[in-house]
Amino acid sequence: MNSKIPNSRNILIAVDESENAKRAVLYVKELLAGLSGFHIKLITIIPEPSEDYFASDGERKIWIEEKNASAQSILEEYGTFLRVSGFGDDEITFQVLTKDCASIAECILEEQEKLSCGTVVIGRRGISKKEEFIFGSTSSKILHTARDCAVWVIE
Amino acid sequence: MQPDFEQFSNAELCEMIAHWLGSDRVPRHLKVITDTTDFYKVDYGDVVVLGRRPYLIQNNEREGRFGIDDQQKFWVKRSRDLIDGSVKIIKLVFHERFEAKVGGIVFDCFRSPKKEARILEITNGHPRFMQGFSVGDSSGNIIRIIDFIRGKTLADSIMQYGRDHEDYFRNYFPNIFAEYIELVEAIRFLHQQGEKHGDIRRDHIITETETGNSRWIDFDFNYLHKENMFGYDLFGLGNILVYLTGRGDVTTQQLKESGSAVLNQITSHDVNIIFNNRVVNLKKVYPYVPDELNLILLHFAMSADIFYENTDQLLHDLHEAREKLHIT
Repeated sequence: MNSKIPNSRNILIAVDESENAKRAVLYVKELLAGLSGFHIKLITIIPEPSEDYFASDGERKIWIEEKNASAQSILEEYGTFLRVSGFGDDEITFQVLTKDCASIAECILEEQEKLSCGTVVIGRRGISKKEEFIFGSTSSKILHTARDCAVWVIE
Repeated sequence: MQPDFEQFSNAELCEMIAHWLGSDRVPRHLKVITDTTDFYKVDYGDVVVLGRRPYLIQNNEREGRFGIDDQQKFWVKRSRDLIDGSVKIIKLVFHERFEAKVGGIVFDCFRSPKKEARILEITNGHPRFMQGFSVGDSSGNIIRIIDFIRGKTLADSIMQYGRDHEDYFRNYFPNIFAEYIELVEAIRFLHQQGEKHGDIRRDHIITETETGNSRWIDFDFNYLHKENMFGYDLFGLGNILVYLTGRGDVTTQQLKESGSAVLNQITSHDVNIIFNNRVVNLKKVYPYVPDELNLILLHFAMSADIFYENTDQLLHDLHEAREKLHIT
């Protein structure tokens, strides 16, 4: 087997604290519950905030710690959803990553490649055209730039 | 050996003031400041010593956004360097955080002295950026000392060109467009260094009277970006291009007031995606605007399906349009 081709049964679900991320997890749960051979990798990317935003390094550190703790607790909650549906502990992994991200989509796709996931699942916030214009859309960017993997966008 | 200017006596400082500005400008009671934390207390006639160099404070700068509701910026002081007599803008530390609202979209913004200090260093010697350096005051505040640029905003300077829009567009716009491309190249340079300008708008470009070159100013704005770190900068670049092409913003209101027949042809697709009263599809108003340029403008219209994600994409199209405008 070519190790460069990601395993489509490795499913990366990129989540944050939003409702649409929760829907993405619930969708996977309902679709794959009871099926064996899948590995679910739940990740949350916390873009490392610029030092500019904080008056001191201490303030920045606290901000990151709080975000990490909150993300960890969300991932654990989602892990519970999956376990209740029959996924085994060895079929689910969690990761909170604090990374310097110019683009969250690029960071997600980096992880997809690193973890050899053939499927990426994300929720779509349904942002307005205006907002997409100014700030960009993570789901749109993943759809446009993902290579060698399937992308499921859950609304 | 460099003299320690902090040790200058009041008499010496007064002598320097008299030398550069005349004896009538020497304050009766000289106040020397090294800690600028409370910028409201840094006032006209005070001397601020930064990096062992004394600066005479002259007045507060104003936010000249649209020239109407100019607000004093108490943390930005025009001053005179008492060593060489040059005019400097001194930006003191103001940790302002606020929610900006653009077209109904709210986002967290903040003023960052650190960011501006970094960009001043990155762009040192670059002809398209204001020049200066940062220095800590006695309390460690990051103070930016900036060369004063004598000139007008690019937006103000274009208004003097042309009898009418067509004259402006055919005879003056090609050079203005070439200048705009230089400014976009400068923003690309900034983005390549991982920095955003943060507040790109037309009054943040000053055209130097002496050289005719335009420079970006004010880099202290920042915001927590989302997917596209540079999207807001690109939005600003688009607005400026529309403004320069139209020799000012063309609004539906103006078309209505002037009884222009063009108004009937303007649809909701032709206006700015954020500012829905500004016409972006300028070819409908000025038919001699070449398609290559108008297509760039349409990336900022309600009808746009694809947006510029980075300056490379924008520059690619700008260079194509430049050929059409016969600029070499």
